Amino acid sequence: MGISRRDLLKLSGAAAVAIAAAGCAKTPSATESGAAESPSGVGPGTPADLPKKAAPRVVVVGGGWSGLTIAKYTKKFAPNAEVVLVEQRSEFMSCPLSNLWVVEAIDLDFLMHDYLQAARENNYTFFNATVVGVDKARKIVTTSDGDMAYDYLVLAPGIDYDYSGWTTDPAMELRLKTEYPAGFKPGSEHMTLHNKVLDFEGGNFILTVPGGNYRCLPAPYERACLIADFFKKEGIEGKVILLDENEDVTIKAQGFHSAFEKLYGDYIEYHPGIKIAKFDLDKKEITTDFDDVIPFADAAFYPHVRGGKILEVAGVAKDSIFNKKEADINVLTYEVNGYPDIYCTGDVRPMGFSKSGNTANTEGVFVAKHIAAKINGKPEAPWESPLTICYSAVSMDPVLAISINAGYAYDAKAKRFQFANVYANEQWDGRVGINNGRGLFEWAKGLYRDMFNA
Amino acid sequence: MERRSFLKVVGTAGAVIAVDPSSIGQTLFASDGTLYKSYAKVQLVDRTGEPLTVEKLKTGENYVFNYPFAGTTCLLVNLPKPAAKDVKLKDEFGVEYIWKGGVGSQGTIVAYSGICPHQLTHINKNDSFITYRNPGERFEGDIVCDGHTSVYGAKDGCRVLSGPAPQPMAAIVLEVDDQNGLWAVGVLGKDKFHEFFGSFRRELKEQFGSKRRAQGKVSVTAQTVPMREYTRDIVIL
Repeated sequence: MGISRRDLLKLSGAAAVAIAAAGCAKTPSATESGAAESPSGVGPGTPADLPKKAAPRVVVVGGGWSGLTIAKYTKKFAPNAEVVLVEQRSEFMSCPLSNLWVVEAIDLDFLMHDYLQAARENNYTFFNATVVGVDKARKIVTTSDGDMAYDYLVLAPGIDYDYSGWTTDPAMELRLKTEYPAGFKPGSEHMTLHNKVLDFEGGNFILTVPGGNYRCLPAPYERACLIADFFKKEGIEGKVILLDENEDVTIKAQGFHSAFEKLYGDYIEYHPGIKIAKFDLDKKEITTDFDDVIPFADAAFYPHVRGGKILEVAGVAKDSIFNKKEADINVLTYEVNGYPDIYCTGDVRPMGFSKSGNTANTEGVFVAKHIAAKINGKPEAPWESPLTICYSAVSMDPVLAISINAGYAYDAKAKRFQFANVYANEQWDGRVGINNGRGLFEWAKGLYRDMFNA
Repeated sequence: MERRSFLKVVGTAGAVIAVDPSSIGQTLFASDGTLYKSYAKVQLVDRTGEPLTVEKLKTGENYVFNYPFAGTTCLLVNLPKPAAKDVKLKDEFGVEYIWKGGVGSQGTIVAYSGICPHQLTHINKNDSFITYRNPGERFEGDIVCDGHTSVYGAKDGCRVLSGPAPQPMAAIVLEVDDQNGLWAVGVLGKDKFHEFFGSFRRELKEQFGSKRRAQGKVSVTAQTVPMREYTRDIVIL
């Protein structure tokens, strides 16, 4: 392609603005080549290699737990729709359970899944490309591999990182991302972490827990336990230093505190209510906001999270009370304010739900119903609570786990959501812990089946 | 012989058609073609091959038998109280059907497919995450799949009470003969057999020798044993 991604981005942004300002009518979405025939002559204009659009098209951007669920169930509930899942990776790697792979307790194979299988079995199209722009007025998505028209668009890009609480220096941010990645966006970050742990020779291994509503609340605590377990088993004279911005463990606190204390007394130091004020990556030490200097041999620094950058590019981002640049949507329908044909789901939702796979999956079924009802000309699907079912391992051999199961209730007066029907199972020892460990695998296998099988 | 008739609500207009599957003996096509299917009439027997009679069933015990295929397990429970009658249920697409109730003199005996319609967690020889819950256990009196905490009404045809399941677990249609013997005759509701056989090839080979064997239809008798004898680990979370 003779045009760079940045150029595409610029052009598409310009096109959207120009057309919105001119108040242009929407391009009829019945023509695939809508983009190419752009009357204004702007925009990248290369049509994506897709069969000519012959039915209402739902384009789902992002092949994570949310997008995969929505693609499958939209097709299931509206079989006459044409569903295209656009994802920049060519294979799926699961973030849930990845901590177990980091410490070699499971094979990588368990986490890896096949987008083409999901598309084949569920009768939708997998389009392997990166979305670089959205023309909301003309209802066209621009990707690295061409443009496609949509009738309904779902943006489920997941999180990006927000390093602004730590540094405003782009060079420092880049070093942190490259040398000490957070390990919450699967792929190379996890592989880096995996290798750091396997090759660790001793000393302090720093992990951080961000404030705000970060992805996978229990994961940093679970990771601390499993890395400590690995050190213990391998006889490594290392210690996990867990620096938590929050005043206490954010979820399953009792279970994690008891595991820290009873299983890893010599291997985990937990410091709540602590922020990193300064990094010295050359000296390998950090300074806390209490002026304590902590040296480290290695680390994974998990910053705050924000909504995926594509929301900003598409002009549908808004700071939430939790994080920056999350989705500007109706919190009961997931429709973008002012653009009811665009939905934002998964970890970019601003509602403060737990950013977990199970939340995204159950929410995705509801959003699919909502879109399908429109396509089928049926009454609007009433709001359904997502479910957060979440297991955390505290040791690896055997896998002992704790779990929580919760829904959400909407307080219309206060206009906010609260946890509802919470059931926590925080006992990790004995039969209960073993059963929770088995539950963890059964949970994951079931959800992989849901996303990748018919 | 205790004859059990079935009511089938077809479509959304509420037209009700009464059908007795035993008198048809073949597939009954509901409006979507799949909500009731009769299979070979099979007598439930105990480990020694003796007919399992109503009076031999312990109240609240989780029993397992394989039906209608060698590799598909079912859960049978003699409830402490009579099951509800004529329960109207819906599959995930809103197609309605009616579950008539339990069998036995008090209508306490119920059976369901042991495959969760949410994501195919199922009773197998290694473990069972699906159980009827007795007093002292969470969700007492219900059937729970702890794969993803789907809770079903044991006395209500496995109506979904909470959790992510999109539809009830399929019911196994039972009959009782004049010797008080129990028979399985068919499956009511949306079964997940096709998806199940497509998803667990490795496990089926390990537990039944091959997928082909697991897919063989059960005929004549089905051994029915307490779950704790069938499954290595019963997992209750």
